[in-house]
Amino acid sequence: MSNEPVGVLVIGAGASGGAFAWSIADAGMSVLCLEQGPWMKQRDFPTNNLGWEARSTAEFSPSPNVRGLPADYPVSDENSPIKPLMFNAVGGSTILWAAHFPRFTPRDFRVRSDDGVALDWPIDYSTLEPFFNLNDRMMGVSGLAGDPAYPYHEPPLPALPFGKSGNTLARGFEKLGWHWWPSDSAIISREYQGREGCINLGPCTTGCSQGAKASTDITYWPVAQRKGVQIRTGCCVREITVREDGMADGVLYHDEEGILQEQKAEIVVLACNGIGTPRLLLNSQSEQHPDGLANSSGMVGRNLMFHPYASIMGIFDEPLEGHHGPGGCSLWSHEFYETDRSRGFLRGYSFEAVRGMAPVQSAVFGRATGRIPWGTPHHDAYGRLFNHTTGMVAITEDLPDESNTVTLDSELADSHGIPAPRVTYELSGNSRRMLDHAVERGKEALTAAGAVDTFAVPLMHAAGWHLMGTARMGTDPKTSVVNEWGRAHDVKNLFVIDGSLFVTAAGVNPTSTIQALALYVADSIKKNIANLFD
Amino acid sequence: MSDTQNLLRDTTLMQALLDLVIPPSDDGKLPGAGDLGIASAVAKSLASDPEIEAGLRAVQKAARDRDPRGLVALSAEGRLEVLESQLGTHPTLMSGLTRWVYPAYYQHPRVLEGLGQPGRPPFPGGFEVEETAPDLLEILRARARKQGSG
Repeated sequence: MSNEPVGVLVIGAGASGGAFAWSIADAGMSVLCLEQGPWMKQRDFPTNNLGWEARSTAEFSPSPNVRGLPADYPVSDENSPIKPLMFNAVGGSTILWAAHFPRFTPRDFRVRSDDGVALDWPIDYSTLEPFFNLNDRMMGVSGLAGDPAYPYHEPPLPALPFGKSGNTLARGFEKLGWHWWPSDSAIISREYQGREGCINLGPCTTGCSQGAKASTDITYWPVAQRKGVQIRTGCCVREITVREDGMADGVLYHDEEGILQEQKAEIVVLACNGIGTPRLLLNSQSEQHPDGLANSSGMVGRNLMFHPYASIMGIFDEPLEGHHGPGGCSLWSHEFYETDRSRGFLRGYSFEAVRGMAPVQSAVFGRATGRIPWGTPHHDAYGRLFNHTTGMVAITEDLPDESNTVTLDSELADSHGIPAPRVTYELSGNSRRMLDHAVERGKEALTAAGAVDTFAVPLMHAAGWHLMGTARMGTDPKTSVVNEWGRAHDVKNLFVIDGSLFVTAAGVNPTSTIQALALYVADSIKKNIANLFD
Repeated sequence: MSDTQNLLRDTTLMQALLDLVIPPSDDGKLPGAGDLGIASAVAKSLASDPEIEAGLRAVQKAARDRDPRGLVALSAEGRLEVLESQLGTHPTLMSGLTRWVYPAYYQHPRVLEGLGQPGRPPFPGGFEVEETAPDLLEILRARARKQGSG
């Protein structure tokens, strides 16, 4: 294996790493990406087999602690009611995501100015807009132009079909006079750029066997490789090394055989997600950076934000076939997205429709909630639930709090002995009130849609998909880790491009915005290449 | 070989237990869980849980108190009575059984077909879903923000 020095070293081949590497390849520098996971194969995804639901809770679980695969590192999460989820492979968590693809709204970037809480971002929607549009084309996004909740934009593909479940839900929202709109989805509704369109397998969150769901291993990476970007899998980065002047020098990493290697680079780019990035920075202590790299502010690992989720489901008399079709992509609602102080909380949430539950999922859910007993009454109870549910999740805006952190665990380590991250997180009163509000409003929508019964999980624990805020951007080096285009204040050849950058979390899924930011950072580097380290 | 291993390897006993967890449906469309050939797979999963093992031993002992041949020798009502009599002292027994039986049962092709679903994996066949209702699309088009309007 050659460890010749490279121009740009990207750590992590997920949502942001793929987008960034593809773009930065145009700068004329050599680009190498180190990824700790493997390339995935569509033929190995669970939906190729009848037992797909069982595999979705084992080796395809979104929890690294459940999977425990060689590519995974454990996360100490006992001090958090929300458990972090991620996937380690080329494509990262886009392998298992639902592909719901809303953008942040313009007001999401100025919550301090508008609502007097948290901080404003140092950039705005208009800065990112061209990168949102570019990213939509690269990923392949289906949707319907004209959503009044957003500035006008045109998804490149027609919206995915609602199915019976979505049509039913939409009528409930419509009856109440609430906002609803077909979701922007990173799932292609028809053939696009050599990929076949969606055939409604259902479980997008176990990996898409059809390849209709965008994951960066099949969108950005093939094109990036054709531009000359190298990707090296099975490589677990131990620390970022620094020169005497404190600038980044490269990394030490364990290769597929576990052998410690050194890779030098002119620029180091972190794309390891909101937990992996602060973990690596904190693990990169040196004489020049005794508290971890880029951490003179003490903000690395602070302000961890999730999206606290509530699940609200309804049972309907008629069959809804909600277990077919992209489970997390049909329609959204921004009815309660903006601050209304009369509700008792600041900021707001979106509803994301979920179609329904698959056969095993229905049984497991019914068992866990006492709705499906064993024995003689089993079949009747199961028949009332399976194929008769639909509903939504509420994605609430989590406000930044310095006491919500990613630190290093003093005992837990990965298979290479690298200290594991420890997550400490407390749900705020604001979020709790928002979740309660969402549960009641969700039930109202379901009842309006014709549900004969409703039920809710007011805080979903295994729902820590969205990892944000732990190396946030800003213009003040005392309160932020990187500047307004992702460059570390302390280390001018070190960049962050993942969800760690986020100043606030908004109330929608973050990946569209993460990737737009990654493209924007790459573009900023290209524009500033002559005086990048000034 | 331990008594528990013998219990778990006793296919007839496991089938009887599984049929108590999910019996055949009254209309005959859905088989009992004991009739699907999943007993040995479930038993393998159960072997890793000592509390469930203890519960199974207690069930079999209570059954043998009624009939030396054990649970399978009892009538359907008798089996149910014996099982229910042990749930108070072994509260995790049924949750452990259902944890493994439900997933094994509901991914079996005979069960899927009994539910009116195709007894095949989702891929490559996929599924048809209903299109977005035209009247709903009309509502959306009327409300759509136009290009250049913000």
